[in-house]
Amino acid sequence: MKNFLISHRGSFLTLLLLILLPFIVGLFNGASPADVFVNGNGQSKFIQGLAIEIFILTIYALSFDVIFGITGLLSFGHSMFFAVGAYLTGIAIKSFGLSLPATLGWLVVASVVQALLFGLVLPRVKGITFALVTLGLGSVFHILVMSSEFGEYTGADVGLQGVIVPAFISPANERLRFYFMALTVMVLIYLLYQRFVNSPTGRVCVAIRENEGRAQMLGYNTFYFKLAALLLSSLTAALAGFLHTLYQPIVSPNTAGLGYTVAALLILLIGGVGTLNGAFVGAIVFRLLDYGLRRYIGESASFINGAIYVLFVLFIPYGIVGTWRLKSLQIKQGWERLLAKFNK
Amino acid sequence: MNSFLRKNIVMLVTVLVMAVFLTAAAQGMEKKDFVITLLRGLAVGSITFLVASGFSLIFGLLDVLNLAHGTLFMIGAYMGWTVVVRPDTFVDLLTPLALIVSGFALGDVYPLLASRIRLGLSMKRILPWALILVSILLFGWILPRFPIAIWDVENYAQSPVTFSFMADSGARLPVMPAAFTEVTMPSAFIGLLLASIIGAFGISLFDNSPRTVRLSWKNFISIAIALIIAVVGVAFNDAMTTFLYGLSSNWLFFVAVLVATLSGVALGGVMEATLIRPLYSRPIYQLMLTLGMSAIGIEMVRAIWGRPEFVMPKPAFFNGTGGACPATNFADWWANNCSTILLLDGRVRVYNEIFIPIVGLVVLISIWILLQRTRLGMIIRAGVQDSQMVEALGINVRRVFTMVFALGVGLASLGGVLAAPSMGLSNLMGESLLLNALIALAIGGLTSYPGAALGSVIVGMIQQFIIKYGQIGIAIPFTEIIFKPTPPLVPASTVMLMVIILLLLPNGLLGKKE
Repeated sequence: MKNFLISHRGSFLTLLLLILLPFIVGLFNGASPADVFVNGNGQSKFIQGLAIEIFILTIYALSFDVIFGITGLLSFGHSMFFAVGAYLTGIAIKSFGLSLPATLGWLVVASVVQALLFGLVLPRVKGITFALVTLGLGSVFHILVMSSEFGEYTGADVGLQGVIVPAFISPANERLRFYFMALTVMVLIYLLYQRFVNSPTGRVCVAIRENEGRAQMLGYNTFYFKLAALLLSSLTAALAGFLHTLYQPIVSPNTAGLGYTVAALLILLIGGVGTLNGAFVGAIVFRLLDYGLRRYIGESASFINGAIYVLFVLFIPYGIVGTWRLKSLQIKQGWERLLAKFNK
Repeated sequence: MNSFLRKNIVMLVTVLVMAVFLTAAAQGMEKKDFVITLLRGLAVGSITFLVASGFSLIFGLLDVLNLAHGTLFMIGAYMGWTVVVRPDTFVDLLTPLALIVSGFALGDVYPLLASRIRLGLSMKRILPWALILVSILLFGWILPRFPIAIWDVENYAQSPVTFSFMADSGARLPVMPAAFTEVTMPSAFIGLLLASIIGAFGISLFDNSPRTVRLSWKNFISIAIALIIAVVGVAFNDAMTTFLYGLSSNWLFFVAVLVATLSGVALGGVMEATLIRPLYSRPIYQLMLTLGMSAIGIEMVRAIWGRPEFVMPKPAFFNGTGGACPATNFADWWANNCSTILLLDGRVRVYNEIFIPIVGLVVLISIWILLQRTRLGMIIRAGVQDSQMVEALGINVRRVFTMVFALGVGLASLGGVLAAPSMGLSNLMGESLLLNALIALAIGGLTSYPGAALGSVIVGMIQQFIIKYGQIGIAIPFTEIIFKPTPPLVPASTVMLMVIILLLLPNGLLGKKE
């Protein structure tokens, strides 16, 4: 038990920090703890909002990690998984007046269907052709969302707005409750993914990434494992979309575009492809960088964003977490040497 | 005969389907509309082909999926526009750009230099970064002080939209004089050259692979050319500006095409040598790198040329109006240079619908000859099949890689500058065209050169016919309903076609099985 606590101390510390974050920020701003509990306005609320966005991005990036980083399938239509979740939630609540559980039920159905749709093309096409086919499927969905024929439901190119969120988790009034809900969902999804990667199924998925031919030679029907990864990914991405719709006042059609898939790719690249922690680290860096640059530099923010990504690709190719894992032994030895010098 | 049938069955079926599709399409519209739509489809197909062929050459030989290709197409268009509408800025830019490139043109000399330097391990780590930092600082200090006729994007009276409008109505623009103020000319010149050489040396130090280089005069050709351009640009600045302002719009257009293509070639060469080359062992990172480059390129275009859309003026050769226009036959057009020509009583725009397909055809044939009849083409074709084998035979494949990348980007830039007068310039033209080119390549076969041409033509035709039918509507047989395809159906239809074809033939129509 003690060993378990010590070996996972980083995760526990992060979790503790995230639980305490709203209160710490509130106290720094001079509010009493009671104020923080009743959701007074102020800096704390804003930081919570930023954190909620990071949690949603993390869930989304995790869902991409399981097919790209773990199973090795490069899909360019991943934003469709997210956007289907986001739009379906919005339409179900706004146009059909469904309750949240019923909406979630429909989400499960829809994400299974779209994972099967992607799975349909899986056995036929591999590698870069799979990327192109998924790009095609994704952009057809993007076009459908943007088209004026369904404007009544999707809001066409303006985006879906006016979704009335149930009062007990409304992000405007009950931000703290929403914060903890998003945090819980993220932690649960993370644990699920940790379990998946370490399960026999997950191991086979890693084997498929490393060498699909060899996995087949060992007698695994790789199609079923890829389909399982796609299903898991689709369900999680739809959940991220669900939270996105509840949190954001407007669902922009950009969430269905190629840019949103690229965002997931970049988050993983920053954090480290194939490392689950990397999704969280990457999401933090991605969101804060975007926010900071937009605030202090303005228009040319995406120029600097792009430059940072190019530098990342060239010089930190394994991402922050990946590089840390590779170099942690060296860093530890370096510290010890440095300390030994001082102790002399 | 039988084996011929079996070999070309896909090709024959495609041609048959296309023929059926075209005859079916011809039933619903007048003959003149049909011809115009056909020509428009060819024009869109030609532009798509220029981008797609470069993309497919690069993908075939280098295995790099260059997602920045659309952005490079767009940069070519904006470069061409600058030469035609603001020649003074172009002349001013010539020197600093040539100086920036010159350091990188010395590529093969640096390993030799690096092998002479003996340093400790920690110094070896720091040195490249220190050099790059010095180079960036030098650039940052000199470049803003270099005299360039810059316009104010935010200010309407000085924005590119206004320039475009004025140039289109034939008004001559004022020359913005530029002179060295804070720095003297020789110091700025030498400083930029030094910064470029230091930066290129620093970047080359990251590449630790041992290489034996034998120096000869050939290594210095490209830097000599770059330096000559720089010197000419700075010495004859005013003379060249006046000369370009005095040129007729035809010659100016010709210069613009040349400049855009050559700058695309230079840009491609530099990009491959500095950014793509370190990443051949990690293909997925190349993909992300090109995505990042694409974002940077779009932002740069936004910062320099602004967000609003504008059109490049057509050369006078294709822009005549007057009593004799539209021309009724070719000789008539030649005499009057009308902008439109009458074909089966329908008006056809000469530049958009006749000139561009002709250029597309010329490029198609010349690249085909390059691939089939020259030594370089032979190496490229062999490299597409198995680049390791070619390397084992003692051919410097890396140099061919750089050449092909430069050629591909040059083709995209050529497409951009040709499309600028007909499609107009906007920040998003690159992305939409890249999607078209990707679809065309997926349909035709990713690494197949004839496939790129076939796919581009198919994509162009389908899109144009759907747009046309969106205007006139399709009468569905046995009913009274008239179906009008809506604009979203234009991209959606080609995307769906791509998905279907890839599911039936994962390698595309003309791609080879692996």
